[in-house]
Amino acid sequence: MTAANLADAKPSRPAASAIPVGPGRVPWQREAVAIVIGFAVLALLPFVFTDSYSRHVLIMVFIYAIVASNWDLSLGYGGVFNFGHIALFGIGVYAYSLLTKLAAMDPWLAMVASGVIAVIAAVAVTIPILRLKGIYIILVTFGFAQLVMQVILSQSDYTGGTQGIVRIPSLYVFDHNMVRDGKFAYFYIALALLAASTVFLRAFVRSRTGISIVALRDNEDYAVSRGISLVKQRLITLAASAFFTGVAGAFYAAYQRNASVEVFSMSLGTIILSMVLLGGTSTIYGAIIASFVLTVFSEAMADFGAWRPIITALLILVVMLAYPGGIVGMLNAAMAVFSRRGSAGRG
Amino acid sequence: MNTAADILFGGLFQGSLYAMMAVGLALVWTTIGVFNFSHGVFMMLGAYLAWQFVALGFPAYVAFPLAVALMAGVGWLLQATVVRPLIGRANLVLVVVITTLAAGSLIENGALVIWGPRSKQVPPLLEGNITLGGIGVSLHQIAIIVITPIILAALWAFLNRTRLGLALRAVAQNEDASRLVGLNVTALYALAFGIAAALAALAGIFLGGYRFMTPVMGADPLLKALIVVVFGGISSISGPIFAAYVIGFFEAICSYYFGLYWTPALLFAALILTLMVKPEGLFTRSGRGFA
Amino acid sequence: MLNVARLTVGYGRVTVLDGISMEAGRFGNVGLFGPNGHGKTTLLRAVSGLLKPRGGAVQFDGEDITGLTPRAIVGKGLIHVPQGNTLFPDLTIADCLALGAYSSRARPHEAANREKVLKLFPKLRERWRQRVRTLSGGERQMVSIGTALMSHPKLLILDEPTLGLAPKIKDELCKSVLDISKSGVPLIVVEQDVEFLLELTKHLYFVNHGQVETEIKPGENLAHSDIMAMYFGH
Repeated sequence: MTAANLADAKPSRPAASAIPVGPGRVPWQREAVAIVIGFAVLALLPFVFTDSYSRHVLIMVFIYAIVASNWDLSLGYGGVFNFGHIALFGIGVYAYSLLTKLAAMDPWLAMVASGVIAVIAAVAVTIPILRLKGIYIILVTFGFAQLVMQVILSQSDYTGGTQGIVRIPSLYVFDHNMVRDGKFAYFYIALALLAASTVFLRAFVRSRTGISIVALRDNEDYAVSRGISLVKQRLITLAASAFFTGVAGAFYAAYQRNASVEVFSMSLGTIILSMVLLGGTSTIYGAIIASFVLTVFSEAMADFGAWRPIITALLILVVMLAYPGGIVGMLNAAMAVFSRRGSAGRG
Repeated sequence: MNTAADILFGGLFQGSLYAMMAVGLALVWTTIGVFNFSHGVFMMLGAYLAWQFVALGFPAYVAFPLAVALMAGVGWLLQATVVRPLIGRANLVLVVVITTLAAGSLIENGALVIWGPRSKQVPPLLEGNITLGGIGVSLHQIAIIVITPIILAALWAFLNRTRLGLALRAVAQNEDASRLVGLNVTALYALAFGIAAALAALAGIFLGGYRFMTPVMGADPLLKALIVVVFGGISSISGPIFAAYVIGFFEAICSYYFGLYWTPALLFAALILTLMVKPEGLFTRSGRGFA
Repeated sequence: MLNVARLTVGYGRVTVLDGISMEAGRFGNVGLFGPNGHGKTTLLRAVSGLLKPRGGAVQFDGEDITGLTPRAIVGKGLIHVPQGNTLFPDLTIADCLALGAYSSRARPHEAANREKVLKLFPKLRERWRQRVRTLSGGERQMVSIGTALMSHPKLLILDEPTLGLAPKIKDELCKSVLDISKSGVPLIVVEQDVEFLLELTKHLYFVNHGQVETEIKPGENLAHSDIMAMYFGH
């Protein structure tokens, strides 16, 4: 499977593949239009959902969607079993908190800086795992995530340890009152971040680098023999997946105005991972859609106590068992039925 | 003098625990080729089942084997529902990670609903404490140190000296060839999972006997088991067993000199370093299968 | 003994065998040859149950075995030695042979069959406790075939037994296969080495593009050059 013909359909591939072939067969203009339309629709939502709570849910959706879709880049496209992704989010959270509180940095600057710091961290994690095989990567990255959490817990003088950090300075939009507008401004900031992240990811995926990491994922030996550098591409992919994740973390801290080590917890990591897999890996959009589904679903069941994770888990199981392609796979199948285009997979 | 005894005993104890926790995970990985992320939850459930049977009035020496046997059934059920249907799919390992994670979450919260969040304790294997070599140890710990090698030896004997064990080893190495020899691969998968679950239950009972149990107690042991398996080399069962004791001693030494707090971080650092130098794990030899 | 009727087999969207038919047993052993990648291995995998056919039927010894599990088919005595010899890398020769006699049909004959296998391949006795991983290609092939013999076959299928072997080892192995045939086990052999096939049997199939292109029955004396032409003409 060469990088050159990835964009063509491969009829000999079994239809039930969880990772579809190629980064996209839809011409980029059509995709760009779809993105614009999609986000325009989302931009109208605050006029439909005028209460603070619904907007809060949507903001959380956007944040998780950023984290999940970026994880799809390293996990789905890159095929790197990276379990440390959630730590990048947490690093973003704490970087922003510390920069704004202790270093009195401008919040917007701090947000960008958090993204950069996350990238640096991602590069640091990648170095030990540059040549490791899949399973070991799970462990090292997971271990890295735990390590970061331990460090944060132990440096409680700065990080507040188990108590976390409170009263974090928030973002500002000129003179706008961020607190009493019913989360209006936050909504649009979150949406803008999601849009930026999505455009970035899709552009990356369509780029030469994006194609080469898929080639590496699918047939490492062959790709390497064609001159693709495993080390370099892994590094770039993980670094690319880190920036907006860190920014999302920073935004989260700015929005919630407090930070705790909860963001490193395995349960949050599991939920986000579920979004990636549920949505269907290697699609980017799948993770976003799954983020909607899971977050809304989860919020709707907020009063169910312990039953909420049970029902969520059941949902995940049902989808994973029935639809290998995740939600995107489901949608494709549905579309195929309606439009009779056969099982033409989307990239 | 006391230091040595302390570290020796601590190392043996932790090592035995880790070996018990890791061997089930290693078994499933080498046979079926997937990581069961509900392994920790299995441990928790084993402990809770044991507690329940004791609460119902059964003596410990009945309750414990009952719990272990029941967990074997749970293991069978799990693989039948969320593992076996996925065999043959692309990205099997990753998908199974998520399905077993989801199943684990389900069981964990189910336990929360059934038994509530307040901590419980399972009676220890043996009650009482004694002084050995100048340090105070509990009989429960001694029981664990003694029982674990016995169980591991029994497992080894099963795998290497019985026909059924031979079949399991064969399936681990070449599934198609196994089918062509007439092996029932599906049933063997189920067996591997059942045994792994039973071992996890035993580990849970060990843990519950000296620590407080909560429904979320499985997360940490899962992580430790993963570490042991990867450290020990994921292509065999004996590798992780050795690694378990090595890590146990490493932890005992670290805790003594650096305190409990930094030990996990040091462990991870050591792990990462090891993997950078010897990616296949410490005790591995090439090829998958049982050593 | 074995009857394949209009078998259709494929992977995903690709059809490899489109209504292939053949039979074995009427004229003794059967040889299959033809260019690589044209369905011979797929045919064997469908016969032994590793692949489920989409259409057609397979009959063995009068019974319909289409769609049965490999385990059931092994239970009826149809034994398939697959191509390549990765086998069980970490098992010893002793283990492999013991494994071969796993099925309930083969177990009563285990000791007797083991003696036969060791007589056929004395070298295995020397390396009895060595792991398959440490053996040479020829030795591994012996283990493969030996394991199959332990399954007490009514019909033995060999997929490219001499693939990748040095000429001298090839000759030894061919001789052993002839011995097996002489001992009364019917064979189906897939081979590139047509010379060997001709020594073994007079009933041959030339498989090309997922179809039987030519069937050569005993009595049809085909010149060697004709066969070569068949082979290289495609």
